[in-house]
Amino acid sequence: MEVIKTDFILNTVRRMENDQSKEFSFGDKKSLVEKLAIAFINPKDFDKLNLSSKPNLKISSNFGIIIVKGIADEDVPEGTVLMPISIWSNQITGVENSELRYKNMRVDVDITEEKINDLNSLINKIKEA
Amino acid sequence: MKRSVCSGCSLLCDDIMVKSDGIYIDEVFGACLKGKEKFDQVTSQNRILSPLIRKDDTLQKASWDEALQRTVDLIKKSKKPLIYGLSNSSCEAQLKGIELAKLINGFIDSNASICQGKVLDNAVNSGITLTTITEIINKADLILLWGSNAAESIPRLLNKVLFSRGKFRMTGREIKTLIIIDPVKTASFNTMGVRDVALRITPGKDIELIKVLKEECCAADSIPSEGVAGLDKDDMKRLLQHLSGAEYGVIFVGQGLLTPQKNSNLINELLELVQMINIKQERGRITLAMMGGHFNMNGFDHVALSMYGKRGNLHFKDNQILETDENIISKIENEDFDCSIFIGTDPISHFPMSLSSKLAKKPIILIDNRNSATLQLASIVLPTTITGIECSGLAYRLDHIPIELKKIINPPSKIPTDEEILNQIIQKLKSDGGN
Repeated sequence: MEVIKTDFILNTVRRMENDQSKEFSFGDKKSLVEKLAIAFINPKDFDKLNLSSKPNLKISSNFGIIIVKGIADEDVPEGTVLMPISIWSNQITGVENSELRYKNMRVDVDITEEKINDLNSLINKIKEA
Repeated sequence: MKRSVCSGCSLLCDDIMVKSDGIYIDEVFGACLKGKEKFDQVTSQNRILSPLIRKDDTLQKASWDEALQRTVDLIKKSKKPLIYGLSNSSCEAQLKGIELAKLINGFIDSNASICQGKVLDNAVNSGITLTTITEIINKADLILLWGSNAAESIPRLLNKVLFSRGKFRMTGREIKTLIIIDPVKTASFNTMGVRDVALRITPGKDIELIKVLKEECCAADSIPSEGVAGLDKDDMKRLLQHLSGAEYGVIFVGQGLLTPQKNSNLINELLELVQMINIKQERGRITLAMMGGHFNMNGFDHVALSMYGKRGNLHFKDNQILETDENIISKIENEDFDCSIFIGTDPISHFPMSLSSKLAKKPIILIDNRNSATLQLASIVLPTTITGIECSGLAYRLDHIPIELKKIINPPSKIPTDEEILNQIIQKLKSDGGN
């Protein structure tokens, strides 16, 4: 099967609806994944990637890889992937010259059937790294 | 019903009405969603109410004495302790944090150093003055949100500065122009009227826009005909016209401008642009305001400056402060620590995986009142009160104005404040014979 791969710009942002502190305070392990393990992309990119055929996005940067749910959002510009700041987005952010790199980063985005990482798996990954 | 200050964000709204009998909070009036969430944390299902100690790889409830003793034992073993956070604590707690760092030869910093503190560093060096919320309400006729989504990060900011009437702005919203520069159509765009200017810039191209605007300030018609950074020539001319024609313009600097672009210091470039516009200005001036998220992000700067003449990155050795170029990122990156103490912050969520994994290798002492990713890796967790609701204290608003937070209700289970916990650690270390 043909693998569709596209270069995107990743921006991590704070959104009230997808706020990590709120989810840790009031949510549970399920809502953490639902609200934070997501990425917003433009509907045109959504169609281009044929995201309706496979449910999840595999986003990879120079710093790491994460599987999250892709959501179409017309407010996001084409070629951009927007993720709420969280332990999920920070799997693919990094450090350069002692500065955090969490915006305007080039990333590769594929569609995938792989499962979304839950909080426990990310914590174990951090422990074992 | 009492008037209270809301510690939901760094705007520290002082017009919140709270109905309480001193034991429970019955109702909160006038708070935004973020503020309401803060009050809801008091009874949140995931609130930490008991000290926790990691045994057999799981966190287990412990007595306060046992948790305190384990904390002190860990610190005594440590040669290079790291203290970080404190932006959700009062200035009094921040002072105690610095006292602890000094006692244990530690390195201490707050969340501000990787956030809005960068703007302050550059503003201090360039000599640009910042502004206050009151000044903006009374004088501003132009508000520019650059890379900042005020409607979601500081929800009542636009109510106060855009939809308000001030001493010299009696006509209110009608006379104020809002400009938003952002690649994403954020919630803040929904506040725009017909006179306002929405500029959807290409992601990561702010630096190009600033440079061209600087050139245009020096020599007219420097803007390329095809435009720059996804904006057309007319958009850019309009932007510059608004900036140089405003009687009192304010640029709210958001996170979007804090990441370096093309190896340039974006903030420095922006400050230079503001200086150039102010020279060109005939009617008024442009000034800057910062948008830190945590309610006392500015407090640590003031406390550290007043004590040691430095905004942050305080490194102590033998009761002396060391000159250092290190920051919290480089300390973790270089694994130049052997134990970390986090106060009211969740670095495992906030930091990239490369740093989180290094933090996870060393013991973590967490002082906080809510569940977090950092809690999942902590060796010891000490529960604390919610400042501004369950304890009093001083905090600095986003415009560096000190605001006193008052206690509204008693904390559950006699949980101590951040300040008391840090003081208990200091006293125990001293009574046990120091570090």
